Amino acid sequence: MKKDKLKIGIYELTGCAGDALLILDCEEELLNIFQAADIQSFLMAKSDNIDGELDIALVEGSVSSEKDLKELLDIRKRAKVLVAIGICANLGGLQAAFLDPKEWEQNLKKVYGQVEMINTKPLQSKPIDAYVKVDYYLPGCPIGKEQFLSTLTRVLAGHPPEIFRFPVCVECKWKENDCLLNRNIACLGPLTAAGCAAVCPSHNLPCVGCWGPAEEANRTAEYQLLLEKGFDREMILRKMANFSGTRIADFAARLKGEKK
Amino acid sequence: MKKISIDHLARVEGAGGVTATIDGQTVTEVKFFVNEGPRLFERLTVGKTPEEDLNLVPRICAICTLSHRYAALRGLEKALEVKSPAKVSLLRDLMHLGEMIESHPLHIFFLALPDYLGYPNAVAMAAKYGFEAKIGLEMKQFGNHIMKTMSGRFIHGENPVIGGFGRYPNREELIFIKNRAIQFLPFALRTVQLMCELNYPDIPESETLFVCCHPGGDKFGLVGDEIIISNGDRVDVQDYKKVTNEFIVPHSFCKRSQYKGKPYSVGALARINNLGERLEGEAGRLFKKYYNDRWKKNPLFNNAAQALETLYAFERVPQVIDEALKLEDPAPVKWGRDTGKGVGAVEAPRGILFHAYEIAKGRIVHTDIITPTAQNAEDIERYCFLAAQELLKKGQEDKIRDRMDLVVRAFDPCISCSAHMVQVTKAPADDWKARLRSLTVEGPAVFIGLGREDRSDDRAGLELARRLRDGGLQTVWLEQELAEAPALEKTPGRFILLDAVDFGDKPGKVCLLPLRYVLWNASLSHRLASVLSAPLSYQKLMDSYLLGIQPASILEGGRLSVEVEEAVDKILKALQN
Repeated sequence: MKKDKLKIGIYELTGCAGDALLILDCEEELLNIFQAADIQSFLMAKSDNIDGELDIALVEGSVSSEKDLKELLDIRKRAKVLVAIGICANLGGLQAAFLDPKEWEQNLKKVYGQVEMINTKPLQSKPIDAYVKVDYYLPGCPIGKEQFLSTLTRVLAGHPPEIFRFPVCVECKWKENDCLLNRNIACLGPLTAAGCAAVCPSHNLPCVGCWGPAEEANRTAEYQLLLEKGFDREMILRKMANFSGTRIADFAARLKGEKK
Repeated sequence: MKKISIDHLARVEGAGGVTATIDGQTVTEVKFFVNEGPRLFERLTVGKTPEEDLNLVPRICAICTLSHRYAALRGLEKALEVKSPAKVSLLRDLMHLGEMIESHPLHIFFLALPDYLGYPNAVAMAAKYGFEAKIGLEMKQFGNHIMKTMSGRFIHGENPVIGGFGRYPNREELIFIKNRAIQFLPFALRTVQLMCELNYPDIPESETLFVCCHPGGDKFGLVGDEIIISNGDRVDVQDYKKVTNEFIVPHSFCKRSQYKGKPYSVGALARINNLGERLEGEAGRLFKKYYNDRWKKNPLFNNAAQALETLYAFERVPQVIDEALKLEDPAPVKWGRDTGKGVGAVEAPRGILFHAYEIAKGRIVHTDIITPTAQNAEDIERYCFLAAQELLKKGQEDKIRDRMDLVVRAFDPCISCSAHMVQVTKAPADDWKARLRSLTVEGPAVFIGLGREDRSDDRAGLELARRLRDGGLQTVWLEQELAEAPALEKTPGRFILLDAVDFGDKPGKVCLLPLRYVLWNASLSHRLASVLSAPLSYQKLMDSYLLGIQPASILEGGRLSVEVEEAVDKILKALQN
């Protein structure tokens, strides 16, 4: 029986381990996953890990050191399907906020001094698709349980996952929340990918953008709306940049281009 | 020379490792390292608003997300002169207890217990210990439920904000949590019994200092404005740097903490050692039943301390909810000012966590975050060293790897706490010659010869020093000259102590090892009394090395043995090159 099970590996590069922890938090479903698939490697959950051929590799975290990169290249070689899980693997994460290599280097020195790291060389944080082909993306900081389970189930069954391309506002409407923008609260919902079930607006709190930019948002209109509400350009971009990682440059460029 | 390495520490939150290098009968290097790339959180927050800081810093660690949030809230509110209402404090305590109930059982049942019961993972353990696995899972699930109710999500919830909460939990939600907590009590009692009655190995055992938040008043607690140290000292949280004293040990590349010249431990064991007497109810009763002196010196008892705290949390949750239900949901609190400084401290599950902020006109200008694992790093290495050295001495080399694994995991290190963890190098120590050469290439060295003239091989250090001096080297001191220590302290360069040392090895065996290891190793350190009693600074000693030669005999007599004579020649030759 065990031979027929699909082989899965769950890996953590640089990040908070929140996506791996969320998988651990699936508890009962996790036991089902352990039964339905052969979990070859999951450092957070088990110590008898094997580095062999994989049907599916789930990779969390950004590439932030040469060691990360080496591990990622090795995983890609062994895996038929590679899924980037969480904002760090998808977009480079919070740690990718410094886009300019010089700025990054200066800040690295400010935190770590002139110390030379011998174990592994630090690299400016990048999403994993900067180095390898990624088959599917599962966004979020951290990923959402429902999206994770549905993605894994679909990929296990050989189907592509269904990821929301629309913004948080859609989920907010589904929940019949009052729009925070109407109360002049700077909410990033219109620009941010859905998938979290609009958790922050449902707590009377503005969306912070932790799912990254929405693919199919009508950005120009939404951005104009935020500007009309009196929120300044610097603030919107700064807030988006907190989670958008390397994608923020492209995002900002498109906004500029779209604004006549 | 053998190298034992545990490259991927499985079942710790994040990825780290330990290496130990064994040279004959001596452990010459133990390194606890972190494989996290740099994330620069302290810089990411600069220029951002306090609200954005709260979006960012919990992401340092998924497991301690709410502790980071709570510490940041305390620091930011201090800086902004925001006084949060009583109900807010109570509900924050509730969310914090939720994190303890999530983290401790996860660690106890899924990360630590499989080791003690001899299983590779919790799933394998569950086949035989289904009841334990189920208790663990349900407790953790309940902790998650509290965290989700209070913060909005399992991980990185944004609901706790400056001055209050975005949405307050309603009465039904709180009553549900209270009732569930009461139902869990028998299982929490069983957890304490299980973890306190385990047979913890007695290697390593060594006293240390314990540091945690002092909650004020006379109750046990997990937050406070003061820090308490097990030697009785109390320090205001705003002066946290007096305790953490972060310093860089040159050539070990890791920011470390030391208090008054000693490494210290933080975490559940620190809290129970410092404040356990304050526990009430069932937790108080079981504390009295199980607590003993071994808790003060054996880091593995952290697992027992976590169990006691889990019981405390289950007993405390209903009390907090009863108090909170008496109070109205407060209106949002306004900032008192937009410029100021503030430090917040809370007990994360794995120990005291500091967030220090400086804010100017509503924007953060400086952030300093000191995580528990960074503070524990020095003691983690020390206990690993002691475990490795003692097992080696007992001829149980085969047990070293597993024991170090157990020690590191007992500290429950949260290795994604990379805010302050610099990667530790594991320079492969080829042999003493290469290392000695690299030490002398790095900078000036001051040689200090130790020993007794009238005790045959014990003269080796003095003899070596004299010959170096005869060879024209200026920076050489002899043991009897240490009285002039102030001058010695001012001499630039790293100290290299020369001495005959009983490593339990073959006569003439030469070992070069950091002096810290010698200080940690009771069987070696008694010979160094003269150096230790000299008024030299801790940092200077931490940066020192011992070049030891195994004597053949230290009986009365005037001559060196043939083996030691040869070793002395070899060292002189190595230094001349």
